[in-house]
Amino acid sequence: MSLVVGVDIGNSTTEACAALITAEGVEFLGSGLVPTTGIKGTTANVDGVEAAVRAALRTSRLALPALQRVFVNEATPVISGLAMETITETLITESTMIGHDPRTPGGAGLGVGVTVAFGELDECSPGEKVIVVVPVGIDFAVVSKALNAALERGVDLRGAVLGNDDAVLVANRISCSIPIVDEVRLVSSVPLGMTAAVEVAAPGRTIRTLSNAYGLATVFELNADQTRAVSPVARALTGIRSAVVVRTPSGEVSDRHIPAGTLELGGETSTVRIDVGEGAEAIMAALARVTPMKDASGEAGTNVGGMLASVKENMADVSGVDLAEVRIGDLLAVDTFVPQEVRGGLAGEVALENAVALAAMVRTSHGPMQQVALAISQRLRREGAAEVEVVIGGVEAEMATRGALTTPGTDRPLVVLDLGGGSTDAALADRSGAISTVHVAGAGDLVTRLIASELGVERDVAEEIKQSPLAKAESFFHLRLEDGTVQFFEEPLPPEVFARVVVLSTDALVPIPVRHSVDRIRQVRRTAKQRVFVVNALRALKQIAPYRDLRQIGFVVLLGGSALDFEIPELIADALAPYGIVCGTGNVRGSEGPRNAVASGLVLSRS
Amino acid sequence: MSSLPNPEPPAPRHSLRTEVLENRPVNRDGFVQEWPEVGMVAMESDFDPRPSLRIENGRIVEMDGLERADFDFLDQFIADHAIDVDAAEQAMALGPQQVARMLVDPNVSRTEVLRTARGLTPAALLETVKRMNIVEIMMGMQKMRARRTPANQAHCTSARDNPLQVAMEAAEASLRGFSELETTLGVVRYAPLVAIALQVGGQVGRGGRLTQCALEEATELDLGMRGITAYAETISVYGTESVFVDGDDTPWSKAFLAAAYASRGIKMRFTSGTGSEVQMGNAEGRSMLYLEIRCILVTKGAGVQGLQNGSISCIGVPGAVPGGIRAVAAENMIASMLDLECASGNDQSFSHSAMRRTSRLMPQIMAGTDFVCSGYSSTPNYDNMFAGSNVDAEDYDDWNAIQRDYQIDGGLQHVSEPEILAARSRAGQALQAVFAHLGLPAITDQEIETAVYAHGSNDLLPRDVLEDLKGAAAVMERGVTGLDLVKALHESGFTDIADNLLTVLRQRVSGDLLQTSAILDANLEPLSAVNDANDYAGPGTGYRPGGERWEQMKRLRHVTSAENPELEVQ
Amino acid sequence: MNVLELREIGRAEKGARPDEVVLALSPGFATFFTKTIVDVPHSEVVRQILAGIEEQGVQARVIQVKARADLAAMAHTAARLSGSGIGIGVLARGTSMIHQKDLPRLSSLELFPQSPLMTPEVFRAIGRNAAQYAKGESPQPVPTLNDQMARPRWQAKAALLHLKECELLVKGAPPVEVEPVLTA
Repeated sequence: MSLVVGVDIGNSTTEACAALITAEGVEFLGSGLVPTTGIKGTTANVDGVEAAVRAALRTSRLALPALQRVFVNEATPVISGLAMETITETLITESTMIGHDPRTPGGAGLGVGVTVAFGELDECSPGEKVIVVVPVGIDFAVVSKALNAALERGVDLRGAVLGNDDAVLVANRISCSIPIVDEVRLVSSVPLGMTAAVEVAAPGRTIRTLSNAYGLATVFELNADQTRAVSPVARALTGIRSAVVVRTPSGEVSDRHIPAGTLELGGETSTVRIDVGEGAEAIMAALARVTPMKDASGEAGTNVGGMLASVKENMADVSGVDLAEVRIGDLLAVDTFVPQEVRGGLAGEVALENAVALAAMVRTSHGPMQQVALAISQRLRREGAAEVEVVIGGVEAEMATRGALTTPGTDRPLVVLDLGGGSTDAALADRSGAISTVHVAGAGDLVTRLIASELGVERDVAEEIKQSPLAKAESFFHLRLEDGTVQFFEEPLPPEVFARVVVLSTDALVPIPVRHSVDRIRQVRRTAKQRVFVVNALRALKQIAPYRDLRQIGFVVLLGGSALDFEIPELIADALAPYGIVCGTGNVRGSEGPRNAVASGLVLSRS
Repeated sequence: MSSLPNPEPPAPRHSLRTEVLENRPVNRDGFVQEWPEVGMVAMESDFDPRPSLRIENGRIVEMDGLERADFDFLDQFIADHAIDVDAAEQAMALGPQQVARMLVDPNVSRTEVLRTARGLTPAALLETVKRMNIVEIMMGMQKMRARRTPANQAHCTSARDNPLQVAMEAAEASLRGFSELETTLGVVRYAPLVAIALQVGGQVGRGGRLTQCALEEATELDLGMRGITAYAETISVYGTESVFVDGDDTPWSKAFLAAAYASRGIKMRFTSGTGSEVQMGNAEGRSMLYLEIRCILVTKGAGVQGLQNGSISCIGVPGAVPGGIRAVAAENMIASMLDLECASGNDQSFSHSAMRRTSRLMPQIMAGTDFVCSGYSSTPNYDNMFAGSNVDAEDYDDWNAIQRDYQIDGGLQHVSEPEILAARSRAGQALQAVFAHLGLPAITDQEIETAVYAHGSNDLLPRDVLEDLKGAAAVMERGVTGLDLVKALHESGFTDIADNLLTVLRQRVSGDLLQTSAILDANLEPLSAVNDANDYAGPGTGYRPGGERWEQMKRLRHVTSAENPELEVQ
Repeated sequence: MNVLELREIGRAEKGARPDEVVLALSPGFATFFTKTIVDVPHSEVVRQILAGIEEQGVQARVIQVKARADLAAMAHTAARLSGSGIGIGVLARGTSMIHQKDLPRLSSLELFPQSPLMTPEVFRAIGRNAAQYAKGESPQPVPTLNDQMARPRWQAKAALLHLKECELLVKGAPPVEVEPVLTA
């Protein structure tokens, strides 16, 4: 009978399980999980290993001196990197248009006239059709008084553009109803003496005329060619409550494509070049043609070139591998969009620009496991395990499938999908027990990045959003959850969450500092997970499945940190259901959930 | 309803001199008239109680005109725990005039004054100092300071909570002479990393600097118990019952917290200061100094070894009333005459005027206190997360010149740039190794290089705050202790720093830092009122900077050489 | 400069409109005192807060508290009388708070503790945010400013203003609803 501990040094966590090996078989005792110290596969792991071993023994109510053998996995560090590049930009020239969405425009309707500076209002003649442009810093009382005086004189005031957030205040104080757009930061740049149209929709509605190309044609009396030229303006103004369009000699709104460069994907036999601007779908199709990929690089001097170079540099830094030796083993491209301030805008207009996010992955060579094993045995002996022997166990993937098979209800052929932070790893154990593996780029970190850029939030906020469901604190005593149900509280909620969208993390309500609604954030979160985890699950399974046929796989067991996610397992299971695959979160040894598979496998393989 | 400016009546003509004076920085300071009825008065108020004391059966039954039945909880705590009943009748009989004379008379020993002071009521203490002018108060401080050798304390903080900066500022501050190093945070969750950085930086070079991290009380205690910090200071006491109760506290709850620290051998002191009660509108009609005396006595009664006072964060209040800075000097001296370690303030932005800032610290730097500043901002004030100090990193050379001018020891010395760069660099490398060893977010060589030559956080490379905060949480979850830091330093080859830190941690076991006014000297031996008792007894006695120390103090950034006036002394 | 007169209408009652914000002014506001610690006229304080509320399309009522000069208590009183449950409290020296009726009295939605940093723009933003809370929206909290040199300049004057305002308290007097009248 001997006391052994299996230890799995992962990228982010180190897991251990203690067991007694007897003539009759294996009796599992306690287990432990701690953060990995240092880079996986280096001697800096020793602290984490010691802590994990101690935790496993503590939960087994045993002490270090009784420990006889420790099995550690052969660690193959997979290192990943991320990059993102916008590939379109919106440009307004000659201040043609103001298309931002102030929360409180004033009045309603459409007004067409000639733009006149506030200071020059006195000089307008009766009957002149005027759009008045009021600079920042003039008090609403002064503005109202001056507008009323002009109206009194018979000036045909048709609309107003204000720098301050004063539209409702002014609308409430003047003697006629006109559309007023406010909070135009750079109001001093609005071209004067030009024909302009101001439109404000009633609350809850969006503008109808200026967002319609023919509406613009009618307002400005345009011919067919001119209408074609202004149609981007109309498109840029859809879905908002207020807008101003100024007709200037050559002003326009353009949707520019930023040349992002060419991506070069090298396979075993061929090399494929693909323009990043063609988007994720085209990139992934090109990648499929060269799989298995040997390396990827970007055209020097372009954005994508810089992007891949920085990913490689980062990987070289992290892994300690020479930069020239870093080979990108897989890529995942995802189409996304980034809210960005429009160049040439006067009011901080924001357009959703197209972007491509890339996750890249490098498989490095085996770490110096002998050294790690030696350091572990020295440490454990010094700490009291005088007899301990540290053994490097089998291949990680084999151990993982062995551990996963202890999940009740599983059988071969079985695929383990390890959903990590940087990469998604799959291992297949076929009917005969033979093992094959594949690593694909992109996992939890990419999801965080997509959420952060699409919502325009910091990464720590995106991380919170990724991990838990949402709710809105509608009062101090109830939350409206994202599924529409309501949760009541006896004690008032903390003031910082009141009226805000919150994340229901395990120990607290975390307020999300954005204007987006619960529905919008939820949609971004779920699609980010779809585009990374579901896509990668299918990609990995297709590469690993016997005859590349998903129907040949009986069971898929999800492991790793993201397998504990509240919705990723169901998203993947839904996607795999059509192939007749049984898919679920692993429950190693019927008790450990998606954790401890490799550690358990190490022990089982030695019994 | 126009808000356009109305035409204003022509302004009266001012002289050019008035204009110049009007624009002097001192006129951006606030000054207010006294209002004694509500406590807006420094120390001379008709509304303060008159001294009185009646003892029956060894128990105080009347104090300062109040029957025991009418005591509030501060009176009760002071009467039962702070005043030595055996000494009281004799001490009170001397009268304030006599006690004041004893304080300035070199023929009366410190011990004799202590014997008297422990029998005085709050009003008697107040009446005593009311008879003393600022020079007499300074003479009293010179004699009554607990530790013979004065010292100083630094604030080492970062506006970005950058641990690397804090480690380097700690190493530089140590080299410049500060005995204690205090930090606090903008983002509280960063605390474990910044406290580790301070602890590591404080042990670079000669090491042995005591560190603390000002946080809410529970976390501060936790970090202390783990040995990530070495002492605690931000345990506040107040002079009226209503302010105490607003903070859900009593003198007894504070005493309990003090006992928790003592039980682990951790040095700690309380904090109080004039002006806090009137600032909150709860002065109960008493002068600022009277209420502060109650705080000092509560500290004494709780059995705590020391007090940080000198108005601290309310300095704008006494600073604005007549005689206010005299009262602040008096509160420091009273702490000392009750045999408490006194960390004497000078630690908050006090004035726009450089002259007033200097004059503010004269009573403490000239007389010498246990910690002249508590503390001195070792960073530019924009990085000072205690809302700015009276003196900051840009004042180092001025401070050193003042020490040299008067031959007074404010605890600091000029240090050459190469030495400072070397210490900062080593602190950075040590912290880099500790972070790597503990699996915390990496510190790059480039970050170190930049920080070594930086003035403040604006000059640094930004860190990944999210990763740092995860690391900070891991430190708390994994139960990292001071001993883990020792191990990390040792195994990374920083054995000298490891040894220094271990020596600091060992003091927990010996309990020597629980002695009044304890710091560690150059040999990392405790230096306190026990083995370095103040022995001032008039001219030619007590602490006087001489010998090697005085030679050290003579050095400045630029001193023309007498040997060759074309050169400067190196 | 505009002059602000607070015409008393009667005892302040609880409002029924869900789209209102109640603004509570301290006992010395526009009575003994006429301006904040940094000389912003009280007329401008009220005008800006009310404009911030009006711009959001929300109604406002103004009350004057007589018995307390404790900001949290005042703001909480305003919140409890407000049909939306959202109230604002402003002390004569300018210190302000946005409160909600279900919150513990000593808590707040937004607190502006440094009276010397209160400008007309900040008062406008307070009105705007309070109105947005009343509409169930999620406003970005008004950034709170900090100035290290506020202490030497203003700490004592702030204390003095507070003490003076405490002298004006009328024990037990209920808050009254007022109509703010601005005259040039």
